[in-house]
Order: sequence, then C-alpha cells, then structure tokens
Amino acid sequence: MIASGSNFRGGVLLLLWLLGALLSGGECRAQGCDSCRVAPERSRRLDRREHVGYQGVERIVPTHLKVQYAGGMGFLSFGAGWDYGRKCRWETDALVGFVPHNYSDKFHATFTLKQNYIPWSIRCSRRLAVEPFTCGIYMNFISGEDYWVREPDRYPTSRYYGFTSRMRLHLCVGQRLTYYLREGNALRHVTLFYELSVSDLDLIAKCGNRTLALSDIVYFSAGVKFQLIRNR
Amino acid sequence: MTALATAGCQVEYHPYDTRIRGARGINARNIARIEQACAGRRTLRFAVLSDTQRWYDETRDAVAALNERSDLDFVLHAGDLADFGMRAEFERQRDLLERLHVPYVVLIGNHDCLATGERIFREIFGPVDFAFTAGNVRMVCLNTNSLEFDRSQSVPDFDFIGSQLTRYPAEAERTVVAMHAQPYSDQFDNGVAPYFQSRLWEFPGLEFCVHGHGHRFLVEDIFGDGVSYYMCDNIQKRSYLVFTINETGYDCERVEF
Repeated sequence: MIASGSNFRGGVLLLLWLLGALLSGGECRAQGCDSCRVAPERSRRLDRREHVGYQGVERIVPTHLKVQYAGGMGFLSFGAGWDYGRKCRWETDALVGFVPHNYSDKFHATFTLKQNYIPWSIRCSRRLAVEPFTCGIYMNFISGEDYWVREPDRYPTSRYYGFTSRMRLHLCVGQRLTYYLREGNALRHVTLFYELSVSDLDLIAKCGNRTLALSDIVYFSAGVKFQLIRNR
Repeated sequence: MTALATAGCQVEYHPYDTRIRGARGINARNIARIEQACAGRRTLRFAVLSDTQRWYDETRDAVAALNERSDLDFVLHAGDLADFGMRAEFERQRDLLERLHVPYVVLIGNHDCLATGERIFREIFGPVDFAFTAGNVRMVCLNTNSLEFDRSQSVPDFDFIGSQLTRYPAEAERTVVAMHAQPYSDQFDNGVAPYFQSRLWEFPGLEFCVHGHGHRFLVEDIFGDGVSYYMCDNIQKRSYLVFTINETGYDCERVEF
C-alpha cells in the first residue's frame, strides 16, 4: 500500500512540477470562462476565479464535492463543501470517512470539518489553473467507545490524561491543479490536490524535541474536488 | 513545498490506525538473545528506564549513555513509551531503543493502553505479560494497568502468574518482578493487592520488584514484607537504574546522564 501510495504521490507531484515549469514560461490570455464573467479590462489577470454564488435558501446547496485519501481523517473521506469570498478563496468542507478494520482494532467512522484558504489561482492555459499554495485547518472526530472527549468516570479525576482522544486538530498546506471543463458539462471544474498535514499532538511533541524532524510529523494526503455547476 | 512533498512523505489514515512500519515481535526476538547470552551465568546486570513518553531527546540521550557502558546484559523499559497511545509514538520510541547495543524488553504502561495502543503494543513488542530467564534469574514482567481494562480480563493476570509458578524453570533460582504501575497506585486493582503480594511470595528467591509510573525515584517496602519496590524515574529526570544481581544478593544504583 505504501509503495503504491508513493507512486501515486510521485505522479501527482510530477504533474504539478511540469505545469509549474509551463507557467513560468507561459503566457496567459484573456479567456472566456463558463463560470466567470470577465470584463475586457481584466483580460490580463491571472486569477480568473469569481464567486458565482447561490442566493437565498439555495446557499445551503454545496458548491463542490470532495474525495480525500488519508490525511489523518480516514482511509478515504467523502464530503461536500461551500466556497465563498470574492475569488472563491475560502472553502468549508464537511467530510465523512472511515478507517477499515484491517487498519485498526475495528471499523471506525470519522467526521471532518475543514476550513481551507486558497489565496491565488494562476491560469496557465485555456483550461488549466494552478493554485500554488493552499492552507487549512481541520477537526477530525473518530467513532468508537474507546475514545473520549473527556475521560470516563472510572478515572479518579476528569483531567487524568488531559487530552481528548476522540478529536484531533490538523494544520495543512498544499497545492492544487484545476481543469476547467467545457460549458454544458455537469461539472464546472475538477481539481486535483495534495496536502501536507500535521496533527496537534505531533506539533506539541515537535516543539519540545530536537530529535523529531519535520518529516517525522508531516503526513501526505491527496484528493479530488468536483466543482458543481449552477443551473441558471 | 513540492520538494518537501517529494522527500518521501509518509501517509497516515488516522493517528490511531494500526499500519505499523518497522520491526515487530521485539520482546520475543530480544528475549531469545538475552537467554542465550546469559545461559549458565550466576551474575546479572541490567538497566531499567521508564516513562519515556514524548521525551524523545532524553530517550535518545539515555540510549547513548547506556551504549557507553559495556557491563550491561539487557535493558528493561518499565512502560509508557507512548503518551497518547498513537501508533507513531510507539514507532519513534522503538526506533530509538533499537539503537541500544544490548537487547531490551518493554513492558506496557497505562498511557500505552489508550485507544488502539494495546493492540499496537502487542504487534510491535508482544504479549503484555511475559517472562524470561537471564542466567539464574527469572524475570516476570506483568501488565498491572488495571484501570485501562474492563472486567472482561483480569489485570493483573493471575492465570499467567499461576502458570509462571507451576512452570518455573529449573535453571532459575531467583526472581525479579517488573511492572509499570505498582500496588496501591491509582492504576492498580488495589482490591487484589494482598492476593498479588501472596502470589509473588511464592516465587522462588523473590529479590525485588521494579516499576515506573510515579515519575520519580523511590524505594518502598510496600507490603512491609521485606520485598522492596524500586520506582524508576521518568526519563525527563535523565536517570536510569542499574541492578546488579550476584551470588550474595543484589545492588541498585541510580545513574544520571
């Protein structure tokens, strides 16, 4: 599993590197875009994102779906999210995942609430854009009676261990590659992304130990985002 | 950042997943080495360290200090390698202890039992109750973290203790009992403490008991029966214990590094 994960990671990262090279020598042209309204005076802008939001009660409809592998939130996680902000820089996701029984003591479900910030999107061709930096924070909850938010009553004090085993907080950074689909497609665009994440407990351990390297506490994950189109 | 990601980053499904990487079956492998190296001897010297949870720098330094010695037969870790019971904690501590020049055995502590910790401990190190013979000394290593287990299993495991008494090896003449949490601690099932004492008394030549959990050095005759319980510092205090057992008795030395 680890070997195949390494191949997958390598493929994603090679693709991003190649597009980065393309970008450095490339040239952005004014493009029509099925999800953006672009005025002629803004034709030279690299970031073509523009939030096309729902109105009223339709705002509860998710703007995108996500599938993510690993990242401390389960073997696979599936979820939906909402992007907002003038250039879709902010995303909030809710994902449900699972840890199979062969990778744990038994099957566990997980729930993740994730906040993402994607400051830049750089269009490098008619249909491709690179988001060279993303960051985020997410809370993950795991199911199971052996986990707690506060210690069970059998312990002599409510702070016997002083931490919650049911919930973990993670910080992440990453990169994305977005492919814009043709108009009329059911999806607006598809994004491949990877993230490097660290949990709160590992971060605390790293702060007190020179022995721990950054590579000891940072974990790789990858996923796909499907941007949903709005019917007008 | 792409370069960092290409540097062979690891993957984690969950901090409590059981996708263990690296060596497993540590205790069984090292017990075989200890029994072979000490066979037929009547003197023994071993070090004890304990409660190394999340103190990786100090654990690394302890391993380096122990490696400077050439007079040890083995090292015993009295439990609490992990602080939160996470898989990565066990792997990191194991990888540090693997640098020891002499074989080592590890007991389970209460922190090691959290979430999937016990399962991970069993896969990496082995059963939570075990025993081995070093020379003419029988080392009996027990799981005493009763607070972490429900009534479906007996902790301490008196069936295991009984089997150790009935199958006591012929070459052993003296006994040392090791555990993480001592009797009358918050973890121990103190309702059975007198029974625990009486069963331990049945071991031939019971010399002393050694444990951790208290995060300080302490020598106490807990039951007032002449059997001393030696509590080992947590590793943050940068010390370990050295026990020397010879024909006339035994000696305990607290060594700072």
